[in-house]
Amino acid sequence: MADLRNAVLVGSNRVPFGKVGGAYAAATNLDLLTAALDGLVARFGLAGERVGEVAAGAVLKHSRDFNLTREAVLSSALSAATPAYDVQQACATSLTAAVQLSNRIRVGQLDVAIAGGVDSASDSPIAVNDGLRRKLLRLNAAKTPLDKLKTLATVRPADLAPEVPRAAEPRTGLNMGQHQAITTAHWGITRQAQDELAAASHHNLAKAWDAGFFDDLVTPYLGLTRDQALRADTSVERLAKLRPVFGDGPDATMTAGNSTPLSDGAAAVLLAEEGWARARNLPVLARIVDAETAAVDYLTGTEGLLMAPAHATARLLGRTGLSLQDFDFYEIHEAFASTVLCTLAAWESDEYCRDTLGLDGALGSIDRAKLNVNGSSLAAGHPFAATGARILGSLGKMLADKGRGSRGLISVCAAGGQGVVAIVEAI
Amino acid sequence: MADVVVFDAMPSSAVLYARALVPRSRPAVAAGLPERTVTLLHYRSTAAELARYDAVCGFGLTDALPASWLHVLTFPLQLTLMTAPDFPLAPTGMVHVSNTMVQHRPTLITEAPELSVRAERLRPHRRGVLVDLVGEARLGGEPVWEGRSTYLSRAATLPGEAEAEASEPDADAELRTAGLWRLPADLGRRYAAVSGDVNPIHLNPLAAKAFGFPRTIVHGMWSHARVLAALQPRLPEAYEVAAQFTKPVLLPSTLRYAVAATGSGFAARLTDRSGEKVHLRLGLTVR
Repeated sequence: MADLRNAVLVGSNRVPFGKVGGAYAAATNLDLLTAALDGLVARFGLAGERVGEVAAGAVLKHSRDFNLTREAVLSSALSAATPAYDVQQACATSLTAAVQLSNRIRVGQLDVAIAGGVDSASDSPIAVNDGLRRKLLRLNAAKTPLDKLKTLATVRPADLAPEVPRAAEPRTGLNMGQHQAITTAHWGITRQAQDELAAASHHNLAKAWDAGFFDDLVTPYLGLTRDQALRADTSVERLAKLRPVFGDGPDATMTAGNSTPLSDGAAAVLLAEEGWARARNLPVLARIVDAETAAVDYLTGTEGLLMAPAHATARLLGRTGLSLQDFDFYEIHEAFASTVLCTLAAWESDEYCRDTLGLDGALGSIDRAKLNVNGSSLAAGHPFAATGARILGSLGKMLADKGRGSRGLISVCAAGGQGVVAIVEAI
Repeated sequence: MADVVVFDAMPSSAVLYARALVPRSRPAVAAGLPERTVTLLHYRSTAAELARYDAVCGFGLTDALPASWLHVLTFPLQLTLMTAPDFPLAPTGMVHVSNTMVQHRPTLITEAPELSVRAERLRPHRRGVLVDLVGEARLGGEPVWEGRSTYLSRAATLPGEAEAEASEPDADAELRTAGLWRLPADLGRRYAAVSGDVNPIHLNPLAAKAFGFPRTIVHGMWSHARVLAALQPRLPEAYEVAAQFTKPVLLPSTLRYAVAATGSGFAARLTDRSGEKVHLRLGLTVR
């Protein structure tokens, strides 16, 4: 392993994230991803350049988007000789893409690469239901007009009901919020704690925008200059007034205020071999030290749907010899405020770390002042596949500002009971 | 005496076309064009209308407005001029024969340019009379876009010698096929809906027949825009593009798109499927 090269994060770009039906209501995944790529290209002078590889993806995808990333490259100012492919790992899509490309750079297969993600909840695909789909396929195969007519005659009103994508697990039928509500109750996370975390996310993000933190991370698009879901003036008191939307009975704690809003947006990060970046006088912010992906069995009630990052963190720390407290920043994706709080509670639990994660004892608590210091998904919004690249881009800048050797931990939960964690270190 | 018509909101093309359909007498062509500029003080495009236009023409939705969209924005001003009682040519049945646009710099969707149009260069043609409608978009007093639409009125005549036909911009370029585009029968109606150009020859087969076309024809500016859309990722910040609409495109049809990079920009051509009948020639030069 001695001759592995150094892969570095050069920088990132995203569009301000929009609310569903908001500023980007008319934009497609292709438009949004192209906008994120073109902003990155402009920021780092890559117009007309052949980049080694672009890997990006979307979670909500039209069938016409089968080659989405390559199409976005062709729409962008990058050289048309830039290869690209689509990846998809739910909300971890662009973080996974960045990890894979970083590794490709380290082994010498690429010098420069772009990882990204996009999602549009406004322009989500609606499919015909399975009954109609099968009949339409039969119709297409029918040879004679009479056969076609016979097939058409079998279409029933029920066949015309469209299939709208839902954030539901295919195997359980529970949507993500309903799953998380079970985990929230299991860990006894209070409404108050969730609302406090949500308010902090909005206040931190607003402060970061006001301080100009996003000036070299975000390019406005279609007139939107800030994240549309951001409510700088929200408060714990205001959030406390909202009605619970996930969970049952008087103990339900999860509201629209402490759950991420449906969003539209795209983000991309630029990765390069360190020498390649330095030769071009490009910034060298940080590197992905190591990453781990975990998956849990959420089907039998033994583990929560969004708890995989707790498992991945235990394995990653074990492999690198670091402790949970060895970080300057923690970026835990706020799918729901309670997802973050359940993860923290799990790390703090001797019993859980011993019995479930197979450790000697608890990983311990973290300094909450180092958590999501520039806001996260509750305030910024969460265009599923874009979130990993948003977090990596922001964290890279925070680490570079903090100084050489400073370290951050990223944790992103994903549908299907999966989770990706990564250690990032300033160079 | 030069006069100026100033709007602070976009006039309706549909209303103007309705006005144009009322038969009435016009001044003699030989009397020349009214000296008039029609100005819209500012117009900010919405993402929704731009997205609909982009989807029909094949553009991606970017912050930079397509040059051809600025033409669309000046079109109601053209109609205002051409439907005025003192305009010497009947606007219905006029044919768009060529279009030149200069983009000095991209206009962004967040900007609200001042748009103006005037008519000039009334001149004889071997099949009638030509007139240029010249548009301009300005931001902060600086021109950012200029457009020149040349229309042929076959119903009028003007004494004098017809000017030589424009040379073929792609005469020397080796063009390669880069697309086979299927144009649906309702494309004229779809483009009309997003551009406001509701000239009946694009909408209704009977109306098209009345003006001598066997079926509806697609708008020349759709074909022009479609080629610009195909070039969109490679368009420079500042350029000049000239298109000649050599033969109308009947709907539905399949067009062959051929293109080449030239030393100074691009040359492109739209033909029928076989490549024999040329519908549009386009030359684009970096400025």
